[in-house]
Amino acid sequence: MTQILFKNKDMKDLHTIKVYEEQGGYQSLKKAFDQEPDEIVAAVKASGLRGRGGAGFPTGLKWSFLAKDVFPRYLCCNADESEPGTCKDRELLLKNPHLLLEGMIVCSYACRIETGYIYMRGEFHDLSFIMDKAIEEAHAKGYLGKNIMGTGFNLEIYTHLGAGAYICGEESALLNSLEGGRGEPRMKPPFPAVEGLYAKPTVINNVETLCVVPYIVNEGAEKYAALGTEKSKGTKLVSVSGHVKKPGNYEVVMGTSTREIIYDLAGGIRDDNELKAFIPGGSSVPMLPADQVDVGYDYESLAAAGTMLGSGALIVIDNKANIVETTLRLISFYMHESCGKCTPCREGTRWLHQIVERILQHKGQLEYINKIEDICGNMAFKTFCPLADACVAPVMSSIKHFRSEYEEYFKNTPVGSV
Amino acid sequence: MSDNEITLTIDGKSVTVPKGTKVVDAAKQVNVDIPVFCYHEKIGPLGCCRMCLVEVEKMPKLMTACTMDVMPDMVVKTTTEKVEKAQKGVLEFTLLNHPLDCPVCDKGGECPLQDNTFKYGPPETRMEFHRHNNAKATPLSPVITIDRERCIACQRCTAYSERIEQGQELVMLNRGFHNEVGTFNNEPYDTRFSGNVIDICPVGALTNTEFRFKARTWDLSNAETLCANCGCNCNITMGTRLNELMRVEARPNDAVDDGWICDKGRWGHSFLHSKNKILTARENSVGSGKPTSFPTFPHNCTIQEAAVKVAEAFKKIAEEHGPESVGFIGSPYGTNEENYLYQKMFRQGLGSNNIDHKSYRDTPGLPIDHYGVEQIETSNVVLLIASDPTEELPILDLRIKKAVTGGTTRLVSLNDQKTALHRYSSQSVQYKVGSESLAIDALANGLARELGEPVPSQDASLEKTGISEEDMKALVETVRSSMKICVVYNPSALSGDAVMRVKRLLNLISKVPTMECGAIPAAPMTNAVGAMDMGLVPDFYPGGVALTDQEEIKKLWGENAPIVNGLSALEMIARAESGELKALLVHRSNLVVDFPGGSRVGDALRKLDLLVVHDMLETETTELAHLVLPSNGPGYDEGTTTNIGGRVQARKSGLDAEHAPDWKIISLMLNALGDETNYQKSLDVTDEIAIKVPGYQGISRKSMGKSGCNRESIASAAETIAEQPTGSGEDGSLRLRVATFLFAHDKILDASSKLAHHFLPFTAHLNEEDAKKLAIKEGDTVLLTAEDVTLEATASVNGRCQPGGVVVPRVSDWQGVNGLVGVDGGPAWVGVRKV
Amino acid sequence: MSGFTFSEKQEEEIAGILSKYPFKKSAMLPLLTLVQRAERVISPEAMVAIGQKLDCSPAYVQSVLSFYTMYHTEKVGKYMILFCINISCQLNGCDKLLEYAADKLDIKVGETTPDEKFTLHREECLADCTNAPMMRVNDTFYGNLTEQRIDQILDSLD
Ligand SMILES: Cc1cc2nc3c(=O)[nH]c(=O)nc-3n(C[C@H](O)[C@H](O)[C@H](O)COP(=O)(O)O)c2cc1C
Ligand code: SF4
Ligand code: FES
Repeated sequence: MTQILFKNKDMKDLHTIKVYEEQGGYQSLKKAFDQEPDEIVAAVKASGLRGRGGAGFPTGLKWSFLAKDVFPRYLCCNADESEPGTCKDRELLLKNPHLLLEGMIVCSYACRIETGYIYMRGEFHDLSFIMDKAIEEAHAKGYLGKNIMGTGFNLEIYTHLGAGAYICGEESALLNSLEGGRGEPRMKPPFPAVEGLYAKPTVINNVETLCVVPYIVNEGAEKYAALGTEKSKGTKLVSVSGHVKKPGNYEVVMGTSTREIIYDLAGGIRDDNELKAFIPGGSSVPMLPADQVDVGYDYESLAAAGTMLGSGALIVIDNKANIVETTLRLISFYMHESCGKCTPCREGTRWLHQIVERILQHKGQLEYINKIEDICGNMAFKTFCPLADACVAPVMSSIKHFRSEYEEYFKNTPVGSV
Repeated sequence: MSDNEITLTIDGKSVTVPKGTKVVDAAKQVNVDIPVFCYHEKIGPLGCCRMCLVEVEKMPKLMTACTMDVMPDMVVKTTTEKVEKAQKGVLEFTLLNHPLDCPVCDKGGECPLQDNTFKYGPPETRMEFHRHNNAKATPLSPVITIDRERCIACQRCTAYSERIEQGQELVMLNRGFHNEVGTFNNEPYDTRFSGNVIDICPVGALTNTEFRFKARTWDLSNAETLCANCGCNCNITMGTRLNELMRVEARPNDAVDDGWICDKGRWGHSFLHSKNKILTARENSVGSGKPTSFPTFPHNCTIQEAAVKVAEAFKKIAEEHGPESVGFIGSPYGTNEENYLYQKMFRQGLGSNNIDHKSYRDTPGLPIDHYGVEQIETSNVVLLIASDPTEELPILDLRIKKAVTGGTTRLVSLNDQKTALHRYSSQSVQYKVGSESLAIDALANGLARELGEPVPSQDASLEKTGISEEDMKALVETVRSSMKICVVYNPSALSGDAVMRVKRLLNLISKVPTMECGAIPAAPMTNAVGAMDMGLVPDFYPGGVALTDQEEIKKLWGENAPIVNGLSALEMIARAESGELKALLVHRSNLVVDFPGGSRVGDALRKLDLLVVHDMLETETTELAHLVLPSNGPGYDEGTTTNIGGRVQARKSGLDAEHAPDWKIISLMLNALGDETNYQKSLDVTDEIAIKVPGYQGISRKSMGKSGCNRESIASAAETIAEQPTGSGEDGSLRLRVATFLFAHDKILDASSKLAHHFLPFTAHLNEEDAKKLAIKEGDTVLLTAEDVTLEATASVNGRCQPGGVVVPRVSDWQGVNGLVGVDGGPAWVGVRKV
Repeated sequence: MSGFTFSEKQEEEIAGILSKYPFKKSAMLPLLTLVQRAERVISPEAMVAIGQKLDCSPAYVQSVLSFYTMYHTEKVGKYMILFCINISCQLNGCDKLLEYAADKLDIKVGETTPDEKFTLHREECLADCTNAPMMRVNDTFYGNLTEQRIDQILDSLD
């Protein structure tokens, strides 16, 4: 299979600039600097690259939205990677830090940015050293700093660590956090492209998204766009975890069938059990039952199946697992991570938790299901940011596909118990 | 329709509003009520509570009306099924863990949560678990109680602390469901503006400790009146019950207070029911002063009788010793009506211009527009001269911070002390204590040169001011190039004739081509502007009519109106000391403590044949009076006051007084002196002011309405400026600057006050350089010596003033700091040494 | 309150941190992290010191730090064990292993051993799901946990 991001991933010392350059690293810079910045933006648009952080927004388009003639501008690389099930960015940062830097340099050149931050979740403290080292090496080589490669273009990139908050992966919360505040999301509009970091135009992209950019410059937008499907171009890193024999991060061409990913790449279901369900794009997207395993792994096929590609974390659940328990675990996560700023999210996640917990204690009643659905309805699309929607997705889909598992619990409810 | 206006449709009604308006505010214009919790017009959108969800055509999701700007041709619907379902849902979430303790909640009856639930809420809750238990009532400060259990985490209060106070003392702690409102390390939230969070909390989470369980809101009588603590004249509502004050709330008036009041306005009212309140006319057992030559007042006389006696006594003395032997020192805290009547009494009834109300130099009127405080927000430069709004006029401080942080306004200051607003200033120029005349002249001359206007021959040298040439040049440039400038100056903090120099500066500013300009004379006292306007000065009749304008005076005040220059307050005290002044009437002024000279003032007053003090509380000065008359004072009285922005507003009584109001007492005296006017109520006096006082034409109950109206700017007379008094202290002594401090421990905020936690220790602020010379360190106890007075203070070593000066905030009546100043109010040098 | 001062070395580090940002407040998380790593706790005195450095109220500092889970206002052990309990680890049996670790350390989850050596906390997903079940001890990630591996890891720490 075509490997763009993971091409040399297990090569020894790929994280050093020496090995990275030997493998053709940083060659996109010269090509980029030979073009006008806008040409690069146009190429990224033409490549069809969509953001890999979760929302899948077209990257070139995002860059073109930057407020005209307002400077300074900032680039924030979103390395918060905290969507449960997702661990692909970590592997990139760990093994191929220069690829990210190369992508960030090209992006900054294209968007006329002179300062970039890599916002890494606090738990990546060790990785920040690897990244800092890479930045230092790139500086020494003149890929960062003043007047890069004699072009007059200046760029500094810094790492910045979070401190334990899922919501800081949400782009506007990330900005607040980077500015030294609580990681509460911001009102939109204004969007970051207009008023982002320090109220200046800001590009925010996921690690994986930025890592794709050098390929597009080197090989051309067409070559990238030739990969994948109609609306999903290129390759995608998939973190396969859960009940598979060979969990791991895999790079697949968009459109590959999910069955292939689970059974071929990840070795199939562990312990000779059977597939019961899978969550294709991280904990925030609706789960699908086993019978949909042939769905194409791309934006539009997954959308048609009622779910999303999200951050590309494929969580595999076998037939021994308890869906209600798993759902509760996810609700518990969102309850814990809700910033508490808006009422439906703060109260709703906790209420759902109380109800599902009660069900698991065999103290629920059949009408709980309607109540859950109604509460979910009162939360969905009514909150300040999509975190509540993310909580609603697994809950609603688990009821949709595995209602009987909930109902099992009510059978044994002792009469009169509330 | 201009470019800046947008037309949209809300519930089928078309509405046109300025660009940038939020949908929720646009809806109000067409009487569409969109429920909110977290949104507050003055704080700005937060988007926390989700109560304001509405449907907008072409948008897939419901939108929050509080965060969304209006857009052309937008179609908003607020009553669709989808919206109603969402509202019910949000209310259900909001009430989920909110205790249903409405019957014992102080917010009951005026609670947005109750009201919204009633209008939009679900009929019942589906919550079947135990509500989350959180802390019940605990003190957030000595005056605020927080019930965390009731908090709906709307963040209004914390956003207020951040955006309005700009202090971030009250913050959101923790995350998610555990979010709670709190302070650093559980310390009290005790800023100067803390009480506003009570008004804005949409539930009963933040309550007024003093009011808790005192009364149900619907049992209160509410008087819409004014705060009388400083020159801002913020609008308040006094909630009373059975003639007792229960609570004070803000009563938003954009032209005055922008919706906020300071904590002194809210809680500084223990004096209302104080045991020191003067309730009857009282003859002092003689001994505290010289026995009066006047036949003694009958014991237990009524106030009316006493008033007549006083008038007769003054008349007799004036006849015996000439009109120059009687005098009146009024008050910048009195109402316009009281001040007007008193000056009328002395001028018309006694033929004397010995009338004043202050210990510093000032004259009525301005050579340029008198700006209202709201103009600060639209000015692009605010120049502060000798003013410290944070300590003197708190709500002005908020307005300036709002302008600076929210818009394009730049703050520049010319001051002898570094104030809390320093950090908001784009340029701060600090002159040495006492050198304001030179500093102001330097600015004026710099401007004059740029404008090609004549520069006085004795050009100010910057040397003695400690200001660098570049700084002054930059300041001149800032002023010259501003498009709209508002000069805010504190006349009471200027020594010598500096205030006249400010007026010359203002005059020059008005000559800068194409510049809009105005000024705000920001003396801290409640009605300082009104007192000037009403002619409580020895050299001007009301409305800034100079004694030299005899034609006008005769026209307004008759052929016999005195036109001889009267004595200033300081001169009256000096003449009392020398025995030339025989009788003095003092209205609402504590000369012994508030005037320069300390005990020498008392000694001077003791020499008077007759001292009558008309005041609301017993003071060091009433103690010396032969006769004390009761004054109602704020809370009880009625009348108008004029704030620093020239806005005239009506003060209404919230409590019934036991005795006749001040205007009545004064009018009895006036009548006893032959005046035939028969005032029936305070407003009758207001009506007369509207006729007799230039600038006040058209002021009436109707024109003032609920939120007041601006009087016309009063022109200032051309002034001759006296030489800057020179002199120097003994070697090593420092020039004294007494700084005003609104939250001082005085008669208003007495020891029983709820705000005692704001009282500061007696501190002397020294420059590092002087401190080094004098071997004084931060926290050392030092002695300040001048005029045979020695006071103990704690040293604070900082950059508050330049070398050669010492700043002493006046923090209490008992501190005696005015004793360090000569009785003539001239420049004071103090010796400072370590104990 | 003035009980907290930064060491000379820390001051140097702080200067480096501040140089990364156009506005000092951005150094909030890095400074909190610096203190947390050095002291294993963030005291009110430290909050005041950070507030002074960054020109903001101590209340603001506290407001920020209380939002994030990696800052502690009660001292944590020398080894901070964060046990992921999120979905991928749950599917791989982390609950039993967490219980095992707690029993082994003889503390409840959320507690610190009396000798202040270990603190054991539940943690949400740590982005190492392909190695589930996993835990993080200070900065090191340990995946594919089993009871024996937990024994090995904890026993090797001194
Ligand atoms: C609750 C929430 C958490 C998110 N977490 C992450 C994350 O950890 N990493 C990430 O790259 N994007 C995350 N996102 C998406 C970002 O908001 C943003 O869309 C993304 O960083 C944009 O980059 P992209 O266009 O390259 O995908 C999250 C979004 C939400 C709503
Ligand atoms: S205390 Fe009141 S104003 Fe503050 S967040 Fe809670 S409900 Fe809102
Ligand atoms: S009023 Fe709009 S979200 Fe609270």
